[in-house]
Amino acid sequence: MLSIPIERFKLDNGLRVNLTPDATTPVVSVNLWYGVGSRNERSGKTGFAHLFEHMMFQGSEHVPKNRHFELIERAGGTLNATTWFDRTNYFETVPSHHLELALWLESDRMGWMLPAMTQEKLDNQRGVVMNERRQRYDNQPYGDWDERIQAMVYPESHPYHHTVIGSMDDIEAATLEDVAEFFRTYYVPNNAVLTVCGDFDRSDALDFIERHFGGIAPGGEIPAIPGEASLDPVIGSTVRERVEAEVPLPRVLIASRVPPYTNAGFYAADIAGSVLGTGRASRLYRSLVRERRVAKDVMSFVFPLTSGAGMLLVWATGFPDGDPDVLEAALVAEIEGLASVTEQEIQRAVALNETSLVRQMERVGERADLVSMFDQLFDDPDRLNGELDRLRAVTPSDVSAFVERFLGADNRAILTYVPINGKTSTGGVL
Amino acid sequence: MNGPSRADVPSSGPVRSFDFPPVHARSLDNGLRIRSVQLVRLPVVTVLVVLDAGEGLLGEERAGVAALTGDCLEGGTTNRSGVELAEALETIGAGLAVGTGWDSTTVSLSCMADRLDEAMGLLAEVLLQPTFPEDEVERIRGQRLAAIRQREMDPASIATIAARRLMYVDGVSYGRPSSGTAESVGTFSPAAARQFVEERYRPKGSGVVVVGDVDSGQVRSLVETHFGQWSGAAECQPQMWAEPRNRERGIVVVPRADAVQSEIRIGHIGQPRSTPDYFPLRVVNTVLGGAFTSRLNLNLREEHGFTYGVRSRFELRKGPGPWCVSTAVGTDVTAQAVKEAVSEITTLVADGPTEEEVGAARDYLAGVFPLQLETTGQIASRVAELLIYDLPDDYYANYRDRMRGVTLEETVEVARRCIRPDEMTVVVGGDAEEVQGPLEALGWGPVTVEADS
Repeated sequence: MLSIPIERFKLDNGLRVNLTPDATTPVVSVNLWYGVGSRNERSGKTGFAHLFEHMMFQGSEHVPKNRHFELIERAGGTLNATTWFDRTNYFETVPSHHLELALWLESDRMGWMLPAMTQEKLDNQRGVVMNERRQRYDNQPYGDWDERIQAMVYPESHPYHHTVIGSMDDIEAATLEDVAEFFRTYYVPNNAVLTVCGDFDRSDALDFIERHFGGIAPGGEIPAIPGEASLDPVIGSTVRERVEAEVPLPRVLIASRVPPYTNAGFYAADIAGSVLGTGRASRLYRSLVRERRVAKDVMSFVFPLTSGAGMLLVWATGFPDGDPDVLEAALVAEIEGLASVTEQEIQRAVALNETSLVRQMERVGERADLVSMFDQLFDDPDRLNGELDRLRAVTPSDVSAFVERFLGADNRAILTYVPINGKTSTGGVL
Repeated sequence: MNGPSRADVPSSGPVRSFDFPPVHARSLDNGLRIRSVQLVRLPVVTVLVVLDAGEGLLGEERAGVAALTGDCLEGGTTNRSGVELAEALETIGAGLAVGTGWDSTTVSLSCMADRLDEAMGLLAEVLLQPTFPEDEVERIRGQRLAAIRQREMDPASIATIAARRLMYVDGVSYGRPSSGTAESVGTFSPAAARQFVEERYRPKGSGVVVVGDVDSGQVRSLVETHFGQWSGAAECQPQMWAEPRNRERGIVVVPRADAVQSEIRIGHIGQPRSTPDYFPLRVVNTVLGGAFTSRLNLNLREEHGFTYGVRSRFELRKGPGPWCVSTAVGTDVTAQAVKEAVSEITTLVADGPTEEEVGAARDYLAGVFPLQLETTGQIASRVAELLIYDLPDDYYANYRDRMRGVTLEETVEVARRCIRPDEMTVVVGGDAEEVQGPLEALGWGPVTVEADS
């Protein structure tokens, strides 16, 4: 059904390149995926991949500090980067006539970053990142949920045991030598995918890419992911943690290991997650929110991770005087009830996924990011065009088999937040 | 390597022209305005109904009624229960999005183009025949009260809500949270929802915006089919008004014991959307705190490492919304961060921006304009703004030229008139014991610590 045209090349230094044209709006997106994320961090260095991402904006040999932002903003473009478990991505979307600028900036930090690094810049960005951690995690109700859930779902030796943001101590301890070593190891053309998407001239784009990236020397072989990525498909039991914290409402989170994204079994997990928690007609919303009224909100998400196991996460937030045990029992009942799903429920899940994917395709930045992802994770950017078909192929019996194998009591991490020192209730609720 | 050296910034290529896509405008006999834009790239369509049903002019006792009525639309219609409605929509891949703001209520959905007829029928059903069953209203009221409780413990919300309350004199709606208070939400009923719909959900005063893979003829006939029977007019609203609570500088600490960060808000009442200074004001705000390379961010983040980010924003509404600088900083550097921020604001107003800064901000704002118009949803929202704020049909056609036409002199003058450092209120949500002394030591203005709520 989808037919996004994607042309793929490889430079001599190993850089994978995808071009995907769309002339609707005169804008173009440059997107780079580096095959490095928090899973590549060694113990004592948690959070470093993300801190390094910040350092990538501190200038390079031919681009002084702040210049990257100034040039892109002056061009009328937007830019950012994100770090995740399996990768770090960098992206600019600019008016089409500034394509070369975006490529030049990305190439300069891929090839010439280290000469611009200083202790002062590192100190500054450690401060920024520590404040990012405070703002998004430490100063937030429930802000430590992912730290706790990941540690319950993945064993200490596993690369997904720790979070992307990392620990305050490790961020504090980062050195310039760490920056140099990380750069030389992972920020090499043979560990990256470059995608250009939007309104551009093909031969210009190829010329710019060869000119700016072609001279960057390849790096060595990418080291194996530290720790032990392979693990049992299930946790082995129900593990629990109960946290009494200054949170406004009780909340129960349940996470299970599921097949990794790179395994065909992932799609049944994805559909199961949607049937359970995507949309107002989903089972969780219908049962816990609309009918039984034990939850104020519900959600589900399937993490498309590639090392060993992905994760299905659901959560429900209760009312001020609600009993977390009731919430947990209601979530578990819906999870177990998934053993039987109808064809119609699957169609609903696929239809919502279809609209959502096509809407993502509307933005060249998001389209470029998906192309980079399929290249980096699957060595097959065209896989994007078949993604919906893989979801459509999931049958009710696939979902039943998935639920039977992966959503039993032997594969649950249950994290419960219970409010303490609650202010007096703002109103009698139900 | 031949040719230009690696050290040279590449020159740009030839500019590709960008025109805001043509908007087809017409109206039904019942007064409902139709705006459509055809985009054939992908088989997707966004339908957005914009209603003159904002929160702004509701009195204190009806606070939150616009938002709650919007929420309760999912409760069902005369043909379908809430569950059946959700199933009908999601089976065709369409999710209903209801947005209630100070100036309007918007109800929208996106779907694959071949489902448009069905989707528009459902959307019309939601708007023309909502039933607001008692038990669904009760459920949604309970959810909203729980959300208010969450808001009361969210550090960013605490600071923002306090800043709004301190800016506006009592009785101005902009001084309260747009989704209401525990008291006003507690008394919301199906009758209140029906009354609001009766008053404000009317074809005259509303508009349907359709953007995507569909032509204007089809749009017209579909809108006629589904919305042709709608009748009535939303009464014209009086002018929105606002008065400041005071015109003196001051620092107010909202205590949160042991907070690891302080949420800082700095500002005063700003401008309405109808301001003739719209373009220079956007430029001034960009120089101050509207982009990454703005003065505030380069100082607080890139020079001092005090924060993950800081921004300045004029909320342009039908009436004068707030102007506010927002950031979150470590507790130990709170006073220093306030000092740096106040100093950047004061300097910008006193000396004005530089020619270079104005040029960069103009180029940025004109350049990103098409980047914000890639999707059917983005274009629909932009077109809806024309209807909400009575902007001329050719407004976007001239938008980039007008932005590029902003002069240095205009920005100097607008900065001075629209930002008044001596009237700013600084709100600090954080650990009062730690921050009070250092804030007083700044000597910038009186420091008040609010009672622990």
